[in-house]
Amino acid sequence: SIIHPAILRTQAVSVTKRNTTPSLSQLPMVQLTATPASALADEPVHIRVTGLRPLQMVTLMASLKDEKGNVFWSRAFYKANEVGELDLMQTPAFGGDYVGVHPMGLFWSLKPKKAFQRLLKKDVMNSPFWITLNLYDSVCFEDVITDQVMASQVVQRWFSGPGLQRVQIREGRVRGALFLPPGEGPFPGVIDLFGGRGGLVEFRASLLAARGFAVLALAYFAYEDLPSDLLEIDLEYFEEAANLLLAHPKVQTPGIGVISVSKGAEIGLAMACFLKQVVATIWINGTNAIFEFPLRYKDMVITPIPTFVERMQLDISGAMRLRHYKGDPWDELNQQSVLPIEKALGSILFIVGENDECMNSKEYAEQALHQLRSHGRNNGRMLLYPGAGHLIEPPYSPLCYASPNKNFSLPLLWGGDPAAHAAAQEHSWGEILKFFRQHLTQTRSKL
Amino acid sequence: MMIQLTATPTSALIDEPVHIRATGLPPFQIVVLQATLKDEMGNLFHSHAYYKANEVGEVDLERAPSLGGDYVGVHPMGLFWSLKPENILTKLLKRDVMSSPFLVQIKLYDSNLPLIHIPTTAPKVSLTLERWYTAPGTKRIQVREGHIRGTLFLPPGEGRFPGVIDLFAGVGGLIESRASLLASHGFATLALAYCDYEDLPSQPEKTDLEYFEEAVNFLLRHPKVLGPGVGIVSISKGAEIGLSMAIHLKQVTATVLINGPNFVIRIPQVYRGQISQPLPFSPQLLSINALGLAEFQHNFEEARNEANENFLLPIEKAQGHFLFIVGEDDKNLNSKAYAKQATEQLRRNGKNNWTLLSYPGAGHLLEAPYSPLCCASKISSLHLFIHWGGEVTPHAIAQEHSWKEIKKFLRKHLLPVVTSQL
Repeated sequence: SIIHPAILRTQAVSVTKRNTTPSLSQLPMVQLTATPASALADEPVHIRVTGLRPLQMVTLMASLKDEKGNVFWSRAFYKANEVGELDLMQTPAFGGDYVGVHPMGLFWSLKPKKAFQRLLKKDVMNSPFWITLNLYDSVCFEDVITDQVMASQVVQRWFSGPGLQRVQIREGRVRGALFLPPGEGPFPGVIDLFGGRGGLVEFRASLLAARGFAVLALAYFAYEDLPSDLLEIDLEYFEEAANLLLAHPKVQTPGIGVISVSKGAEIGLAMACFLKQVVATIWINGTNAIFEFPLRYKDMVITPIPTFVERMQLDISGAMRLRHYKGDPWDELNQQSVLPIEKALGSILFIVGENDECMNSKEYAEQALHQLRSHGRNNGRMLLYPGAGHLIEPPYSPLCYASPNKNFSLPLLWGGDPAAHAAAQEHSWGEILKFFRQHLTQTRSKL
Repeated sequence: MMIQLTATPTSALIDEPVHIRATGLPPFQIVVLQATLKDEMGNLFHSHAYYKANEVGEVDLERAPSLGGDYVGVHPMGLFWSLKPENILTKLLKRDVMSSPFLVQIKLYDSNLPLIHIPTTAPKVSLTLERWYTAPGTKRIQVREGHIRGTLFLPPGEGRFPGVIDLFAGVGGLIESRASLLASHGFATLALAYCDYEDLPSQPEKTDLEYFEEAVNFLLRHPKVLGPGVGIVSISKGAEIGLSMAIHLKQVTATVLINGPNFVIRIPQVYRGQISQPLPFSPQLLSINALGLAEFQHNFEEARNEANENFLLPIEKAQGHFLFIVGEDDKNLNSKAYAKQATEQLRRNGKNNWTLLSYPGAGHLLEAPYSPLCCASKISSLHLFIHWGGEVTPHAIAQEHSWKEIKKFLRKHLLPVVTSQL
């Protein structure tokens, strides 16, 4: 290789040596500020450094340990201005995990030390993620940092706000967690569905609740006494959950919203088609047809479009790309599996990552919209994000390159270019809140 | 009908293609082909591809497209160049190039098994191929003459052969795999070490071109070497040296520069009292990609923008010919930009003694055909993984094409032109 260990050490050391000659007159005190130091995880943080030497080259590093003890970290190399200051809202990073002006770059470029780990908050109520911001006096690019920390700051990233209530749900068949905002309400109700990993993922539901919605994070397999494997989609289970939510005294009637991603979005779209209780649906990187296993609703059974094992592809990292795995919903032999989206009464927002490596989300959304248009409906809209991958999550969530899934022997590749994916998350979250406020806010008729 | 798997030739040089065919399958049956290799350190490498038999139950890799797995499309040698290590980022490297081949096992599973089931399923048929780094009759000679350290590979047969010096990247040690292959194709090739090998310094403070001049003279003096000129095949840091040799030594008549710089890197170069300083390196311009791999291709940009022309190696002074080989997806060096600048310098000086081959999707480590892509490595004592770049399929195509061009180029400029006299 062209890069020899010696060159890097020589360069790094000489920079340090030049800069550690203290002047006898007062040394400016280096200050690292991050405001707010404690906030909801979808709120931006303003990071500034003062008291550096003019044009001093530094490394800003963020690190976090998740609830399983996995370490995530990120870094960027900055140059102070003529008065020894850095303001991440204005100063570009020269290199590191991102380049350019990215005030929240240290958060969304966090990477796991152990490959293929996904950052996911389990306990959303009682503890935040603690992110340590460290400032170093040189360009530190090795995995092992030998430099002294010049300044440090810890920020807390919460997934729930004060007064938010979490209620474990075990009623009838329904399993999940209901998040209620503080106050009397009633609040617009939303069901939150995640994808093929199963279990119960709560962090998006709790964040939405912190923004004023009554959100039911709904599990549908591999959780408590629910089936451990997903073998069919029983839409009556989801209808039961919708009715349960609407029956709650703090939830607005007569309609609810659904926010859903991946396999959850296939279900969310089915709910939009068949359940009149659903008036606003957010579909993120899902499908427009039934795949893998049948969907059942009362007397109706929709059989799945087959998947093709042989079409899986392996990425250079060894992760599996499933993008080409599924059969074609445009194929005339598969039409009975395509969801009758023209039957949906409510509004649908399709959020698509164009670089989704797990499924052909863009094609599915386009076909769904085509179907709406051909039936004279205009209750659907798509937000297409170039460079974004499969796992579009709330803002500042780190891009997960690939992560394990129990149904496959190799980690699944999600796709996405980090900076574009981060921008998509930030933008789409605003659109999600706007969409739900627009379609779920009660228009009270005055009598 | 019995299922049969054939692969010809079963024993060959690693840069020779293999024709793989399966017959006797149920028509339109989907099958999995797997290749496995164990290197000399015991590391396992695997590749898989899914194929669909035709209406007479055949799969011919020269015609049938892979539907999925480690590559897609028609790639007769895909199973070889898409081999992936079990231990992520392990590089496939043959240490003993003379006395043993790599053994590649090809296995056929007669259903579209998910990969998770392959380790616990017996294949329907399997065979083993030998992939050699030397042709029979190739001679390997340890070289310890004067200051020179390296290995000379002589082609089989009588007579004299055009001489080539093979220079690898600055990782130290001695890599013989390319030199032994070149010898198998008729070139007397000296794999020349220049740091961290035998009694050579482990971290030299300068590059002394007189050492390389000594190697050139050694080669030309050898009774089996055909003069009057020699060729160079060089990559990365080796290509910085190769370029400098071509500039200063008139005996160098053909130089292959693979993903190299047109300036001095890290340590100064000296030649008979003349010193060429290295271009400054800006550590802060390092990029870390989505997988956490370090990309160095921008670290010279600041210096290149500010530097005057004295930093550029005076390529216009070279008398021989150049073949530039560029991987456009090189993440270690900005090879495309450096080759472009070097060829523009030649053009400005009225020279047309060069050819530039630029390969989209190819990375830094362009090696012999069918070598698996190593996209990153950990350099010992440096705590990070270096991203070399390259996408699997385009990189493989680039290796296959550039190897043919390298041999053509060396033959054209090192073999005497026979003209008939009337």
